[in-house]
Order: sequence, then C-alpha cells, then structure tokens
Amino acid sequence: MTNKLKFLVKQSLDKKIKTKWFKIVNVVLLVLLIFIANIDTVVNLFGGDFNEEIQLFVEDQVGGYDLFAENLTNVASMMQSSQKYAIEKVNDISEYKEGLKDEKKETILIQILPDEGNYLKANVISYHEVGMISLGVIQSAINTVKETVAISESGLSEEEILALTSPAVVTTEITNEEESESENKEMVSSVVSLVIILPCFFLILMLVQMIGAEINDEKTTRSMEIIISNVSPKAHFLSKIIASTCFVGIQGILLLLYGGIALLSRSIFTSSELISNGTITSLASIMEMVKTSGVLDLLIQGLPFLILLFLSSFLLYAIVAGVLASMTTSIEDFQQLQTPMMLIIMIGYYLALMAVQFDGAVFIKVMAFLPMLSFLLSPVLFFLGQMTLLELGLSTLVSIFFTWVVFHYGLRIYKVGILNYSSNKLWRKMFHSLKNK
Amino acid sequence: MLSVSHVTKYYDTVKAVDDLSFEVQDGEIFGLLGVNGAGKTTTFRMIIGLLEPTKGKILLNGKPIDYQVTDTIGFLTEERSLLTKLTVLEQAIYYGTLKGMKKEKIEERLDYWLDRFGMSEYKNRKIKELSKGNQQKIQFITAILHEPKLLILDEPFTGLDPINVELFMEVIREFKEKGSSIIFSSHRMEHVELFCEKLVILVKGECVLEGSLKEIKKDYRKKNIHIIGDVSIDKLKEVPGVLDVQNLANEIVVKIKSDKEIDDVFEVVKKGKNVTEFKVEDATLNEIFLSKVGEAYDK
Repeated sequence: MTNKLKFLVKQSLDKKIKTKWFKIVNVVLLVLLIFIANIDTVVNLFGGDFNEEIQLFVEDQVGGYDLFAENLTNVASMMQSSQKYAIEKVNDISEYKEGLKDEKKETILIQILPDEGNYLKANVISYHEVGMISLGVIQSAINTVKETVAISESGLSEEEILALTSPAVVTTEITNEEESESENKEMVSSVVSLVIILPCFFLILMLVQMIGAEINDEKTTRSMEIIISNVSPKAHFLSKIIASTCFVGIQGILLLLYGGIALLSRSIFTSSELISNGTITSLASIMEMVKTSGVLDLLIQGLPFLILLFLSSFLLYAIVAGVLASMTTSIEDFQQLQTPMMLIIMIGYYLALMAVQFDGAVFIKVMAFLPMLSFLLSPVLFFLGQMTLLELGLSTLVSIFFTWVVFHYGLRIYKVGILNYSSNKLWRKMFHSLKNK
Repeated sequence: MLSVSHVTKYYDTVKAVDDLSFEVQDGEIFGLLGVNGAGKTTTFRMIIGLLEPTKGKILLNGKPIDYQVTDTIGFLTEERSLLTKLTVLEQAIYYGTLKGMKKEKIEERLDYWLDRFGMSEYKNRKIKELSKGNQQKIQFITAILHEPKLLILDEPFTGLDPINVELFMEVIREFKEKGSSIIFSSHRMEHVELFCEKLVILVKGECVLEGSLKEIKKDYRKKNIHIIGDVSIDKLKEVPGVLDVQNLANEIVVKIKSDKEIDDVFEVVKKGKNVTEFKVEDATLNEIFLSKVGEAYDK
C-alpha cells in the first residue's frame, strides 16, 4: 500500500510539474517579478511629461524669493514628486503673460504680493491647468515664505527665529530591555509579514484549485472507480494532499528564489541603495535591516512553530478542498463551493494588514488562534510583538489538532463522496457519511 | 471462484440489491443481466470492493475482497474510465502499477495487446485524441493487462464495430480457457447468448431468474417455430396455444406456449405450399429476459 501511495503521489506531482506549462508559467513568473521590482526604472526609461521641467517665473514683491525657491525644491522632494522645476526671478510677470500661449515648456507665473491682513498673497497664472501636485508644492512653498515673513515681522531676534523654526528634538527611551529598541522594527516586521503572507495567499489559491481539478477529473471520467478498487480512499486522499502540498512547497521556494533574483536585478539596475519612497533596493540592505531590527531573532525563535503552522494550515486547506471536491460532481460545482473558502483567506489577509494599524486589537488576536486564519495572522502578530512565542506555539497546536480532526472526519465524507455522482440529497448523504467508520 | 452469498445492499432506505447469491467458477463466463437500475453496477461495485454489502458475503477464491484480492480483478466499467489527458502508455502504467505490476512488464504486455488490437501506433497518443472505439479497446486492454483471475465486463462492446466485437470475444474466450472467471453484463442479449454459460437476471435488485443458459432455455416452455413457405397466417393464428405469428420478409415465426402445440402447427403447415423449412427453436434470451422482467414488474 505504501508503494501505491508513493506511486500516486509521484504520479500526481509529475502531472503538475513535468509539463511544459509549469516551465512556461515559471519563466513568466520570473520575468514578471523582475519587471515588478524594477517597474519605476521601466517607467523612467520610457519617459513622459514628468521628465520635462516646469518653468516658474516669480515676481517677488515681499523679498521672499530665495526662501520660496529653496522651499519649492524641498517640498517637491518631501512630496515624492519626480517633477523638476526651473525657477527664475522676474521684475514684472505681466510681460510674460501674453507669451504664455506660445511657450514650448509648461510655464507658470507666480506673483508674490504683500497683503495687509495676511502678510502676503500669491497669484498663480498659467495657460493650461496646473497639476494638483505642482499646485500643492507651490502652495506649501508660499506658506513657508508667509510663516517666515510673519516671524521676521514679529520683532524676534535671528537666534529666536532659528530656534522657533527648527524641528523639535524628540528622543525615545524604552524601559523594557527585552524589547528591541530598533525604530525600524515595526516597519520591517510589517514588510516581512507581508512578504510571507502574499505568496502564501496565492499558493493556497493554487493548492485548492489543483486538488479540486484533479479529483473532479478522476470523478467525471469514472477512473476513480478503477483507482479506488486498487487503493484505499485514505491512500488516495493522502496522495492528493501530499502531492499538492509538495507542489505548492516547490512553487513557494521557486517564488522566493525569483523574488531574490528580482531584488538583485534591482540592485543592478538602480545605482542608489534607497529610492525616494524608502523601498530598500539591495538584498544585503534588507538582510541587514531585518537583522538590526530584531525581526531575524524573532524569526529564528519562532521558526519551528512557523514551519509547523504553515504546514498544518496548507494541509488543512488541502483536506478541505479535497473533501469539497469529492462531494461535487463537476468542476463548476467545486468552483462555487470553494468561494466561501477563498473569502475566509481574504478575511485573514485583510486582518493581517489591519494588525499593523490596530495595535493590540483583541478581535485580531482571537482570530489568530482560529485554524485557517492563524497561518496568516499569528506570524504577523508575532513579528509585531503582539503575540508571544508561547501563544504562537498554542496557535500552532490548535491548527495541528484541528487539521487532524478535519482529516479524520473529512475522510469519511471523502470515501462516500468520491463514488457519488448525484447531487440529489447531497448534504444529507455527506452528514450521514460522518457516522460511518 | 467467486462466491456471492445472500448479499443485500441498502442506500439509505433504498434497497439496491436484495439477497443475491451466485457463484462463478474458474473458466466460466457468467451473465449478470437486468434493466437500467436493476442493481448490476452496485453488485459490480461490491465485488471489486468499492462498496461493502449491508448483509451477506463476497469471497474470491475463499478470501474476502480486500486490496490484495482486487489486484487479481480486472474491471471494465460501462462508462469510459480513462484519464483522457494521459497517453495510452501513461494510462497503462498508471493502472498497471496500481495493480502491482512493474513498469517493464506493463510496457511489454501493452505492446503485445496493442499489436493484437492493431493499435501499436497509438501507444504515445493522448487518449482524448482517440476515437470512441479505440478508447474502448484501450479500456479493455487496461482491464486485462495484469491477466486477472476475475474479469468483470460491464457493457464491453459499446462503441465497437462487428469486427472488433469479434476480436473482443476471441480474447474473452482466451481468458476463459486460461481459467479466469468472467462476469459479463450487456443489454445486447445476442452477445450474452453467445458467451454465457450461466446467468442471473436482476429486477429492482432482486434475482428473478438464475441458472445455466441451457437449463433456462429448456425450462422456458415457450418455443418459436420458423417456417419458410406459403402457409396461411390466419389459420396459424387460429391454432390453440399459438401466442403470436410474425410474417417476416423471408420466414414466418410462430410463437407457441409449449411443445404440445408443435404438432397442431405442423398440421397447418402441411396444408401449405412450397414449404422448405419447419424448425422448432428455443425462445431467444431476449424473449426470456423481456418475459421475466415484465412478470417481475407486473408483480
């Protein structure tokens, strides 16, 4: 029987891996991941309006031009705008107003005027509508000039003005020595969690689909009768679960590998280590950040539990998918029946995202102990420091126990379901089968 | 030897098979007949261990059906039970390995049977690319590849032309000669008549007729008289005990209640002209089947 089980596992795995589609899909996945990792480089490569400078002519009647010019660049950088500006001071913008229509470059005229009640005001004149980002950048720069003018007119000394405008110094002290002091921890934790969750989410989808399709194929062709007359339903069920879980394991490792290659390609294609939005481009930098933030220590501590939790959860999904597939008589029926299962994963996915936002949420923590959700939530809460190692272990034990229970009773349904070709009184038959040993 | 002893099977509250008993000896071809829903498939499923009887016992060579025993059973299902995405070779390896065969042996036997059925060029073709008849041949080959001791054939001639039906029959007879027990089910009674030595007719899960084909025909009192010549149909119909007279293209068939009516019919025939044939035959299995099934439904 063991040999037949091994054969069925191998056969099922070969059917998934030794196909030209598996190779094609993996090449496409690698190319797409490299593309996603370098998407900003690609966008830049092809260029566009963002490459062209906007010409600003500024008529300054309050003496704040230098401050405006300096702030404009700073604000643009802060707003993560890739738009470039060329600024020029002019005496009278009215001379330029007539020629706006004929300007090849996008041109904006800015008039900074004194205002009795509000220190200063500005007029922005253009032929075309000014984009929201550019208008926001100009507005912020003007506001800074206004604040500076207001402070300078208040009679404060230069030192006082400097002290007033410079940012306040905030120092942090954590009295709990066990807790990592790294200020990057939260950010790194959420990044690491999402890096784990997102592929898992897709792999589960793949797992469920594969088991459903394979069992339905054998059922609808009636080859199931020949197979089950030679191997026990238990061996058959196990072979599907093991083969599909192995497949997603292999695909998961390949995805991680492709992710690494994609990150390496980014280091090659981009010269800077950090791009403007703070995304880390170098694999080494990521590893360093993971290490210094303390997430690596957590990962090492929780690794045995995490492996067991992921494994039991994948098996659980495979078992549930197998049972549902055995009950259905066509792939269309299975696809309908699996929808609630997909929504459960979606709930887990969204709760995992929300865990970063809602620190210490009781509801999310309770959900983290529920099988089918725990593999998405528990690692995130653990990395965020919202779940202890003991709690992670408990969550893993609950998942393993529940997986065993579902297998035990699911097998009873499976035995009846795989040889059932009618949807008549289906649920009655399945509930009745739970009593059979 | 296969022994089915007082087997009953319930699906929930529905009785699918009711106290069925029969034996199939080694080297014997046995017919399991019945209309759709009579319980044939349920019986087959119990014999190959897919279903457990609610009551009764099924033994193959004295052993209850388990996964060691099913390795010696070949089963050809009524519907196609092939994984159509596989090639012929992959399919044979799949089912053969599940029967405990080695890959080399499977390939060797597959080559033999493909050659025998004139299908060698299809070895590496996907099953879905084959015609219905060729798929049926592959299904048959996968059922006999491991040289089963018990061969169950559920409607084996579906989709086959007469030449291939003959080829199938030849192979089935070979298995019989080698000592395999064969259970055969078909709605085509002429096929059953050609093959089966013993049979059971099921109606609503219940056995309404069983025994050897010879005995069944002998015991069935109604006969058919085949006449070639110019004989009055009306006069034949007037003979007491004549059930029906069919005026066919080349002959007249007179159906009589029993042997007793033969002389009376002969008297009428003697008065006819150009009579070249007067032949008394047992009723066909089809007639027996229709009669028995009809009686069971009437009850």
